[in-house]
Amino acid sequence: MHLMDIVLETRDLTKHYSMGSVVVRALDGITLRVARGEFLGLLGTSGSGKSTLLNLIAGLDRPTSGSLRVFDHNLADLSREALSVHRRKNVGMIFQSFNLIPTMTAAENVALSMMFAGVPRAQRERHARELLEKVGLAGRQLHRPKELSGGEQQRVAIARALANQPEILLADEPTGNLDSKTAGEILALLRELNTNEAKTVILVTHDSALASKFVQRTMTLLDGKVVAEAGS
Amino acid sequence: MIVTDTIHLALRNLREAVLRTALTALGVSIGIASLVGMVSFGVGLQDQIVGNFLRSGLFNSITVTSALPAMARLRRTKGVERFIKGIEPSQPAAVRPKLDDSALQKLAALDRVKEVYPDIRVPVEVKLEDFSEFSAAAGIPMSARGEGVFQQISIGQFFPNDAGDSCMISLDFAHRITDGDVKTLLGKELTLGYATSANPAPSIPGIPAAGLSVQRTEKKFHIVGIVERQAGGGMGAGMFTSVMIPLAIARQMNAYDVSNPQDILRQLAEKSTYTTATVKVARPQDTEEVEKKIRDMGFTAVSVADLMQGQKRAFILLDLLLGLVGSIALTVASLGIINTMVMSILERTREIGIMKAVGGSDEDIRRIFLIEASLIGLVGGTFGIALGWAVGRVINLGANIYLQNQGAPTANLFLIPWWLVAGGIGFALLISLLAGSFPAMRAARLDPIQALRHD
Repeated sequence: MHLMDIVLETRDLTKHYSMGSVVVRALDGITLRVARGEFLGLLGTSGSGKSTLLNLIAGLDRPTSGSLRVFDHNLADLSREALSVHRRKNVGMIFQSFNLIPTMTAAENVALSMMFAGVPRAQRERHARELLEKVGLAGRQLHRPKELSGGEQQRVAIARALANQPEILLADEPTGNLDSKTAGEILALLRELNTNEAKTVILVTHDSALASKFVQRTMTLLDGKVVAEAGS
Repeated sequence: MIVTDTIHLALRNLREAVLRTALTALGVSIGIASLVGMVSFGVGLQDQIVGNFLRSGLFNSITVTSALPAMARLRRTKGVERFIKGIEPSQPAAVRPKLDDSALQKLAALDRVKEVYPDIRVPVEVKLEDFSEFSAAAGIPMSARGEGVFQQISIGQFFPNDAGDSCMISLDFAHRITDGDVKTLLGKELTLGYATSANPAPSIPGIPAAGLSVQRTEKKFHIVGIVERQAGGGMGAGMFTSVMIPLAIARQMNAYDVSNPQDILRQLAEKSTYTTATVKVARPQDTEEVEKKIRDMGFTAVSVADLMQGQKRAFILLDLLLGLVGSIALTVASLGIINTMVMSILERTREIGIMKAVGGSDEDIRRIFLIEASLIGLVGGTFGIALGWAVGRVINLGANIYLQNQGAPTANLFLIPWWLVAGGIGFALLISLLAGSFPAMRAARLDPIQALRHD
């Protein structure tokens, strides 16, 4: 791995939560490196800390200690404002429950992150249409989330994640609410984006069998620690 | 994030909860309506009272006298002293100038003074056919046309010019002259008998000639108008007498007030010295400044404006009080805004989480909610002004029906000047921004992970 190609690097990353008087060590010293264009699978049971790690990388949360570098920035040092810029520009999030805004059309949902980036309306609408075509939803721009199937909703969410051309896609159990056939299609789409557009993809899943068909490398977490690594 | 996008997003959110938005805006409307209604009532009331004075033309006149000897006694009365101090000349009494023609010219030369004329009242015997009565004739300047008691002349008209032999009489006086229709008096010839000096001017100025002698002179006038003293025109009494003749004629008459020895003595010694004169200024707001200059010249100056000072303060207090009462409804309305916004944030917690996850900054979120609140305020404020106006109209209509039944002239009790429209909407905006700032801050500070977990 060439040093220049490292997009993400963590060192002794910890995240502790206080649940009443009990301190939960959600992450307990994670050290990892992700290279540009990698497709990494984060495996583990629920409560293993894999989602917590993804949220830290996404800039939705802050680490308790340790360093977390994405490109040139240590996210632990960034202001709230700078973290929102990181979420807007560097990463695209995909969730298990899709997290589309129900009152907005597919195109509006895709355009939302571009709106926060200050992209003018006309340009936003054109780009949203292109992205929806790319994820296989041509002609569905004006549909609202509840008029779309789960798989289609997740495609909208993927299109949204791509809107501001981030280098990194972060997918948190993206197939958790989908049947196995649709799940395969969604992962295939992520794989396609990884190979054709050189997007770095970090996939959080508990379904190691499914993940193994698509990812290059896996890390398995248990109680906030990396317990196994596999792949190149 | 582009501002127009923020506004679009805010508008979209408001449309999504149209009933709640409408109800909240209605709350603001009622608050603003009550505030605007109260203040417009204050403004209308003030206009009814102060405006009548302004229209009477007396607000821009100053009465100038050379000295106020009678004031010495009044001075002992509490409260009066302060008023007298305010109108007295700024110089000590010893050097008080005379109020003569040259003084009038100096007064006329002052900045912003439109006109200066002496107040002349001639004691006369009025005769018309077999009617005879002793009375006083006042010299009225031509500029008084359309002002004060001359705003509306019941019968006939104002003097056509100041050189003629025309006169006006009061309605009371007209009724004393004839038992029949007073209209028949128009055009009739009135004879005024008055006293003039039979003596030549004294050889040594300042010493009255010995053996004062007075002769009776008569002059004929045609009645051109009959003037009624109106209920509201009480302040115009200075110019209102039984008989009113053109000022220029009154000055020429050179009459003596034989009942007042002081007048005879003074007039012999100091030809054409006047007891009082009226100074008219261009605009009512100039009165105070001109008054001060006149006092600097050594005269006593008093105007209606002096008397109105206290009233003005009272009206400001009244407006404040009415505004405060009106604000109570607005306070309740602002709680409504807070409630609506807090509810809206609760409902949209997940949406806020999504917005943050896709890159919305704290500031973006805060602005969306602030704009939502201010849009509610803007709509509520605008509608509230309309509502306040409408309610005012309705109450006014009712009040006027009552006034008409009582035989009183109708009045506009509610006035909404432009400053109140702008102020009302501005205040609604301000209140909703204040009310929205706390919920907006809460929305901005939401933890995105928790917000995303929210159902």
